[in-house]
Amino acid sequence: MFSKKNVSDLAAVGGAPVFDQIRSTSNLVRPDFGKFLEYSTIFYEQHRYTNGGPVAKLLEQRLAAFHRTRYCVSFCSGFWALVLTMKCLAVPDKTEIVMPSLTYRRMADLAAWVGLTPHFCEVDPATLGVTAEHAERSITEQTALLLGVHPIVNNCDVDGLEKLSARTGIPLLFDSVESVYESYRGKKIGGFGRAECFSMHASKLVNGFEAGYVTTDDPELAARLARMRGFGFCGEDNVEMLGMNAELNEVHAAMALAGMDDLPGQVDRNRARYRAYQQAFSGCPGIRLLEFDETEQTSFKNIVVELKDDWPLSRAETIKLLHAEKILVRPYYAPALHQKKTSYRTIFGPLPITEALVDKFLLMPCGHFVSEDDIFQTAALMRFLFANATEIKRRMPL
Amino acid sequence: MTTKHSVQDFALLGGPSLFEQPVHVGQLRFPSWERYEAAMRGIFERQYYTNHGALAQQFEARLAEFLQVKHAIAVTNATLGLIMAVKALGLTGKVIVPSFTFIASAQSLTWAGAEPVFCDVDPSTCQMSLRQVRESLERETGIEAIMGVNLWGGSCDPKALESIAAEYGVELYFDSAHAFGCTIDGAPIGRFGRLEVFSFHATDVLSTTEGGCITTNDDALAARLRNIRSSYGAGPPTEVPLTSNGRFSEAQAAIGLLNLETFSDALANNRASCAVSGDCRGACAPRRANQLAIPGLPDRRANLRDVARRTACRAESRKRQRAPLFLPGHSPERAVRERFPAIRRRLARNRPPVRELDATADRRVGAAREDRGDLRPDRRCPVPCGIDFA
Repeated sequence: MFSKKNVSDLAAVGGAPVFDQIRSTSNLVRPDFGKFLEYSTIFYEQHRYTNGGPVAKLLEQRLAAFHRTRYCVSFCSGFWALVLTMKCLAVPDKTEIVMPSLTYRRMADLAAWVGLTPHFCEVDPATLGVTAEHAERSITEQTALLLGVHPIVNNCDVDGLEKLSARTGIPLLFDSVESVYESYRGKKIGGFGRAECFSMHASKLVNGFEAGYVTTDDPELAARLARMRGFGFCGEDNVEMLGMNAELNEVHAAMALAGMDDLPGQVDRNRARYRAYQQAFSGCPGIRLLEFDETEQTSFKNIVVELKDDWPLSRAETIKLLHAEKILVRPYYAPALHQKKTSYRTIFGPLPITEALVDKFLLMPCGHFVSEDDIFQTAALMRFLFANATEIKRRMPL
Repeated sequence: MTTKHSVQDFALLGGPSLFEQPVHVGQLRFPSWERYEAAMRGIFERQYYTNHGALAQQFEARLAEFLQVKHAIAVTNATLGLIMAVKALGLTGKVIVPSFTFIASAQSLTWAGAEPVFCDVDPSTCQMSLRQVRESLERETGIEAIMGVNLWGGSCDPKALESIAAEYGVELYFDSAHAFGCTIDGAPIGRFGRLEVFSFHATDVLSTTEGGCITTNDDALAARLRNIRSSYGAGPPTEVPLTSNGRFSEAQAAIGLLNLETFSDALANNRASCAVSGDCRGACAPRRANQLAIPGLPDRRANLRDVARRTACRAESRKRQRAPLFLPGHSPERAVRERFPAIRRRLARNRPPVRELDATADRRVGAAREDRGDLRPDRRCPVPCGIDFA
């Protein structure tokens, strides 16, 4: 039960925090332990612990079927899955990759690992996703690759980007890390563009400790990625290409498979949490909850709110107050990538939409550790902050 | 037991296989099922899965203690460790690396934007040749660093390389992927150069299925490595050229901690395998692995990861999974790689480590097989060893 009566009850000024344990934006789903052990027996009995072992193969088959694609290639992380796929798909001898500036904080570093120069574009303020129109403005003669990044809630302009790719001949890769469960116009995410990349980090929809994968219908790309993640070996002792080690180990693969078994149940639990957010934040002044498009398939995992113009505190102030209450909200995203200092070159023109969006959104607690009661307490706290903003600002050197 | 009396008894010629189940080259050590289940249950109870968790921190502390270094930074795998090392050291130019090593040594340089300059190995030890390193430093301009490689569970001469690096004013670091538990002057390898990178791949002497660690006594370098690895458990933010994901999960750490507890058994098992191998009639003398001390270097101890010897017969059984030792990494063209004398003439030339194989290479391989040099790297194989082969 929310019990703060006046401003001095806020944790930021010495009161007791709302929660004893942190509530974070990480999913941290715990699959069934028995299932995890069952999958573990497969590799244990075969003495195969990595290098495309039986459990990783099983996971790849499972994910390809789930996304309805011909191929799935597993990796040690979503990060290296993306790097290697960028390497494979970029048009040789061209140097730029088009990506939104308002996205994952390490996205530009990903491109830099393959020597591509990020060329930043705007996002659509309505969806927070990249659109064909915005991407096209950043295309130059040097564009080697288009990166369609799905926003945290719902999808980006898949159809427009596919048409842009077809018209320009520039390959299209989707970062679908946050769209594992979603569909676009009724078709499962995974089969769009030349390939789609996913993460199974513990904070994501499917917890594989650390893991990632790529889906594609292109047999040559799938074969090339599989070689590249294993040092470029073709056959037992023949290295034919620049490769590295990005193999998924069997223990992590077993975890991911147990997570896949739990997926329908998890989505039900996520939906219940989302319904609680809808109810709790309904009519909450200054706050808009981003709605899932329920005409499509969705995981209901991530919860994002917009701090509207009438919200009386800055986002930085709001984050500081919430963190003190052990509510580990995160900015979505800050800074934007074009605002960061990098050791490598980046390209961008004026990005007024991004700069207008960059301090408006908050990722709210979600996942396994968040109960419906937690959600109502969080909403009550937000209302309390709204009501007492003037005094909070007066009393606190925020 | 299958006994072979004549050539016809070889499995390849129709005889029964020596082993019913494949016998692997790699160490493939894994905790007992009971210990694995208990450790994993602990992770499920704590519900902390990755991002520098309690077990990862404990594993790093144990490694630092075991290797007698200030920092041990656990990473996803050793290749990513080597790639991260190049960025942390700020290398952008030429790095001397032996050609006769696993391909990852050279690939790590290419991924990180540095340039491999290949040197030869000493044919008696197969470790990198100090003479060749010196010659490369004399001949080439713009060399920034030496990547020493400690091969096959033995070691190169890190102390001599430290002197050479100091003399020429270049950085020195080590690919010690195979060398966990090797000692020099009674202390573990791990303290040499600016940093060392170890592998905990399933085939290595300490396994975390996939994994590795970077050791260093340099606080600033450790801080950079932790920041490049990821933002979790990174300590204070430090300016780095590029970040990555090199994180080490709680599952990897749990397996590493369990295997570290039984590490002395692993070494004992390897010694037993070596003793058997050394007695094997018809096999040439093992290079060094049937003796705990490396010939001529009694102050060193090997972890006996690979029991290397010349192959008595390639065709004994396909089920006996021997892998040819490395084909030199400085060219992907198999025809070239198999002609070691030709490679010698190209020593230390700055060639890209990887190019697309040209269409004629396959045909040339056939010809090359008829014309082998005296070192014949393709005829020296690691024999099965590790947990499956006692």
